[in-house]
Amino acid sequence: MSLEISRLVKAYGPIRVTDDVSFTVPAGGLVGLIGPNGAGKSTLFSLVTGFLAPDSGSVSLDGRSLDRTGPAERARRGLVRTFQVPREFSHLTVRDNLMAAAPGQAGETLGALFLLPGRVRREEEALRRRVEEMMAFLKLDRVAEVPAGNLSGGQKKLVELGRALMTGARTILLDEPFAGVNPVLIEEISARVRELNARGIGFLVIEHDLAALSRLVTTLHVLDRGRLIAGGPPAAVLADPAVRDAYLGGAS
Amino acid sequence: MLSLDLLVAGLISGLVIGLSALAVTLVFGVARFPNAATGDAMSLGAYAALAVAAGTGSLVAGGVAAVLAGILLNVILYLLVFRRLSDRSPIMSLLASIGAGFMIRSSLGLVYGQDPQAFRVPLARPLVLLDVRVQWLDLKLAGLTLATLAVVYLILAKTAAGRRMRAVSADPALARVSGIDPTRVMLTLWALAGGVSAVAGLVLGLKTVVTPDLGWNLLLPAFAAAVLGGIGSPLGAVAAGILLGIVQELATPFVGFTYKIAIAFAVLMLVLLIRPRGLFGRAEGAR
Amino acid sequence: MEAYLLAIAIFVAIFTLLTLGLNLQYGLTGLTNFGLVGFFGIGAYASAILTTHGYPVVAGFAAGAALAVIAAWPIGLVALRLRDDYFAIATLGLSEVVRVAIISEKELTAGVQGIPGIPRLFAVLESRTWQPLLLLAVLVAANLGVVLVMRRIARSPFGRVIGAIRDNEEAVRALGKDPARFKTQVLMVGAGLSAVAGSFYAHYVGYVTPDQITPLVTFQIWMAMILGGTGRISGAVLGTLLLMLLIEGARFLPDLLPFVSSTAMAELRVFVVGLALVLFTVYRPQGLMGEVARR
Repeated sequence: MSLEISRLVKAYGPIRVTDDVSFTVPAGGLVGLIGPNGAGKSTLFSLVTGFLAPDSGSVSLDGRSLDRTGPAERARRGLVRTFQVPREFSHLTVRDNLMAAAPGQAGETLGALFLLPGRVRREEEALRRRVEEMMAFLKLDRVAEVPAGNLSGGQKKLVELGRALMTGARTILLDEPFAGVNPVLIEEISARVRELNARGIGFLVIEHDLAALSRLVTTLHVLDRGRLIAGGPPAAVLADPAVRDAYLGGAS
Repeated sequence: MLSLDLLVAGLISGLVIGLSALAVTLVFGVARFPNAATGDAMSLGAYAALAVAAGTGSLVAGGVAAVLAGILLNVILYLLVFRRLSDRSPIMSLLASIGAGFMIRSSLGLVYGQDPQAFRVPLARPLVLLDVRVQWLDLKLAGLTLATLAVVYLILAKTAAGRRMRAVSADPALARVSGIDPTRVMLTLWALAGGVSAVAGLVLGLKTVVTPDLGWNLLLPAFAAAVLGGIGSPLGAVAAGILLGIVQELATPFVGFTYKIAIAFAVLMLVLLIRPRGLFGRAEGAR
Repeated sequence: MEAYLLAIAIFVAIFTLLTLGLNLQYGLTGLTNFGLVGFFGIGAYASAILTTHGYPVVAGFAAGAALAVIAAWPIGLVALRLRDDYFAIATLGLSEVVRVAIISEKELTAGVQGIPGIPRLFAVLESRTWQPLLLLAVLVAANLGVVLVMRRIARSPFGRVIGAIRDNEEAVRALGKDPARFKTQVLMVGAGLSAVAGSFYAHYVGYVTPDQITPLVTFQIWMAMILGGTGRISGAVLGTLLLMLLIEGARFLPDLLPFVSSTAMAELRVFVVGLALVLFTVYRPQGLMGEVARR
């Protein structure tokens, strides 16, 4: 399931937040995206997942255009994002956060809820078992009953990843999965992402933690002031003088 | 069918809507919620003017009393209620403003009763301009409205306090970092909005009659104009108010007097759907 | 005195239906419906018009609920795209438009005079004691039924999604679900429930006028919901009861303060509701029972 981003342009007034950006996340790929603050990374995520409409350019998944679809439809087709600032369902427990993400539940229609209670109950039991497995995989089982709003930043990132997985997504966009997360948990999240990638799920990851990201991904793209300035294997990209100039010179 | 008389009537009621929309938009710009007690501040202003004008025999004294009453009311409301709600969901502030409105309206009803009261205005022969009869009172009211708008504009555009208000309205966090005391700015803005509401109430009361529901009935048009003008945009609110007033008057022969409010509602919905930033606005409306 | 208490109990039961509906909409889903009374009015007038023209009581209930649900559908489509506070204003405006339409369409609604002579429910029971008791029993049963249905909804996959919508709508969309579908359904269910309450009200009071469907009713119900605890289904009953006690308590003021006239009474009630709204939003937004706090 390959994600193709082609010539995306988005401008606010005279400022082009993304300027003619094109790249591909191949099926089952593990791709990173870096760039200084304000380079347009999060905007690009919103354009790719349909939360923002581009001025021009297009996005397609496995050769099918997504241009006329909204975020919900893109998610149903297997393209799901997480958010830079976690958007957990704060009053719902961790278990309910994950259960709410599963697609095609009969119990989500009022008709079935009251006319087919048996089917709803059976689906719930099956879903619950899947969620228990998912929570065990993400080491969230100990906080299953905790309202997600009470979790630490890193745990919220895991809940968001878990929700994305529960939708059955084949390509997941992670927006700064390591931000505000302690080093132990960063390795934990990285390990889960590698495992999932080995099972064929593609990832596109925005991250500021260059060291952790370059250990994780196989391809790295660099965005600077809305333009893609480099792309390739992490080691080569980080050695590129243009990248050092734009990114490392300014920031760390 | 397009009658100049209706156009003039629309212009006058549009100025009143514009003033009340200005009060709504001033508060929304910094406090980030639609203040539903705006209409009741208008009513309070009208009654204050009525009482003082009856006591002193001077409409000017009445007008001054109205403005003072409006300012005082909004300052009290801000200090006692809305300041405490500023870090919570805007729905809580909106609910509180509804409650405050109920309190003001029922207090006015308790003191003055529900019977309409009228200002004593000397009758004068209307002025005839190009076949249109224009009442002197209307001209004076239009003058008063325009003068109020000019004062507000000068305060916002030319004074240090006005610059601070615009800074807070544009970006509260940035304003705080630059050392602007948000409480003081809020207080000034609430006071300004209170004064503007009171003038709107006074003009409406002079034009029609004064009842405790006077301002509440104008709330929906005021909201509609504030949204139409682009929430947070003072000039837009006034322009949109005038536009809405004219549309309402011109439509009255077709839809009937009582459906005026429905027109405001229809305009509001259309704007929210088609152009949530309003005609002149910048701020966010829909998602 | 018993008759008075019975009357209060019946009013509490009728308004609890509204509070339950609001709790589904705001408490569970986060929909800021400021136009409840519009749907209530649709129910009341449908019953009033149909039954005074010789149609059976059931027809009034059914027509009112159906009309309210149908009216809620386009509002859902249109208004659900708006921010919370704009949605609140839009629904408030809608309820005012309903009231204005009732005042204006005199041929159908008799305008400001209203429609008298709406038949009482269970009028076959001639007895003055049994008739209201039976009505109360039916209302209590109806409330119980609604509470059970709402519990079922709250603890179902549907309830999970509306809870998620209340917490973060964008994230729900990011997961591939359309918040608008859920919100529209919630709005329609709430509208139907409000209309049923309106029908009961019309039959019990015996007449309808536009004065009965002012925004005051909407905000009394908001107050009741906050009192009982937003999002707490059983709290709706308690909250409505407390609100009625608060409002009815004002009724005894004339005994204490003899100079208060009956018109002043009406004003005092409005004042009490307004004061309660201000005090609770500022000091106890979580209601009397606490918990289930909202941002």
